[in-house]
Amino acid sequence: MSLVELNDVVKRYGQHTVLNGVSLSVDKGEIIAIIGRSGSGKSTLLRCVNGLEPIQGGSVTVDGTVVNDPGTDLRKLRQHVGIVFQSFNLFPHLSVEKNITLAPKVVKHVPSGEARRLAENVLRKVGLAEKIDAYPDQLSGGQQQRVAIARSLAMQPDLMLFDEITSALDPELVGEVLKVLEEVAREGMTMMLVTHEIGFARKVASRVVFMHEGRIWEQGPAAATLGSPRTPELETFLSAVLH
Amino acid sequence: MIREFTFIDFLYLLAATRWTLALTAVAFAGGGLVGLTVALLRVSALAPMRWLAGLYVLVVQGTPLLVWLFVFFFGLSIFGIAVSPWIAAAASFSIYAGAFLGEIWRGCLQAIPRTQWEAGGSLGLSFVQQLRYIIVPQALRLAIPPTVGFLVQLIKNTSLAAVIGFIELTREGQLTTASTFRPFTVYLTVAAIYFALCFPLTQWSRRLERRLHVAR
Repeated sequence: MSLVELNDVVKRYGQHTVLNGVSLSVDKGEIIAIIGRSGSGKSTLLRCVNGLEPIQGGSVTVDGTVVNDPGTDLRKLRQHVGIVFQSFNLFPHLSVEKNITLAPKVVKHVPSGEARRLAENVLRKVGLAEKIDAYPDQLSGGQQQRVAIARSLAMQPDLMLFDEITSALDPELVGEVLKVLEEVAREGMTMMLVTHEIGFARKVASRVVFMHEGRIWEQGPAAATLGSPRTPELETFLSAVLH
Repeated sequence: MIREFTFIDFLYLLAATRWTLALTAVAFAGGGLVGLTVALLRVSALAPMRWLAGLYVLVVQGTPLLVWLFVFFFGLSIFGIAVSPWIAAAASFSIYAGAFLGEIWRGCLQAIPRTQWEAGGSLGLSFVQQLRYIIVPQALRLAIPPTVGFLVQLIKNTSLAAVIGFIELTREGQLTTASTFRPFTVYLTVAAIYFALCFPLTQWSRRLERRLHVAR
């Protein structure tokens, strides 16, 4: 059974339809790169998966839980679905350690000592073990984003969502974040990532989904889809971002 | 009998200042409780709660404090409920401070970006947990300067309680004037005492505000 199942999802903001019947299923261990022009609905699609955006039609199911069912306890679901945002969204008043341990302690009742070790572990994974006592404003954008990834990893999610996580970074900082992402991918994490990094998508993703006008316009294995697009829209998009 | 304004009168004024401070403290505590409730209701997800709290603020901010004092002190006695000046003042000032503090604190809570709530919610924190661990600690920093600023207003406004016979600094000034017939000297002294109370707070509030701007 697939881990994520989107069935004919419709999302509207007032009159404007952002997602116009999107169906997609993601198996455990898959790495899905979602690409497309800004405004094509790719970030919205991602945010529907953990219930940040309510939907107006269709259904979203994650690991058997119907996300759009009003009776669903989203808090429970979100313990298993991590999300990393474009703008990091670290908690500025908390140290790196507290940023990472807050949810494990408060939500999962992990004892303090164990939480600290957990923080050390995930920070080592993102190569920032020495920053455990730093505050977010003492870190570069790339480091902040790596802490945000570590914070998400600390909840030991089954699925991770990445929403254009390198878009707010200076070009020279993009590499370090992508490297961490690759590391996470190598450990077998199921990932859905919205990205503008086509090269990265080709290298890491198992499948590429191209969004256009609120629909999935084209999808397939990364190398084939990016190498020989079947639709003129994807071809135009690729030539625009690659030049 | 008319007598001189002497040092002993000054000491009486200082003694009455205790009641100004006591009323301020009670109003701030009561108003703080009401204000916290109002602020939290106004950011809650439940629309009726938001409306209720909004209505409260609307009514209180749209009516004079003096009228509330009259309602409690004179109004309730019509129904045979004897209300002491203390109770009437404490209730009126708490209602008044609650509305203003509620608005100040609501603004501070809403100044924290939506994305901070999202980040907390995405980690599985409940609404109350998000408030407690993420939103309130950040909003608190923003809230201190305007709250201290409002405290200064509150100290000065307690003088209104003089009209229902609550003996605080201003009322004591009136009484002293009546027996010495030295309004100019007495009220200048009263003003000086208010100033001595408010000035350090104003300075403190300014310093906090500056520090906040430098930090962010």
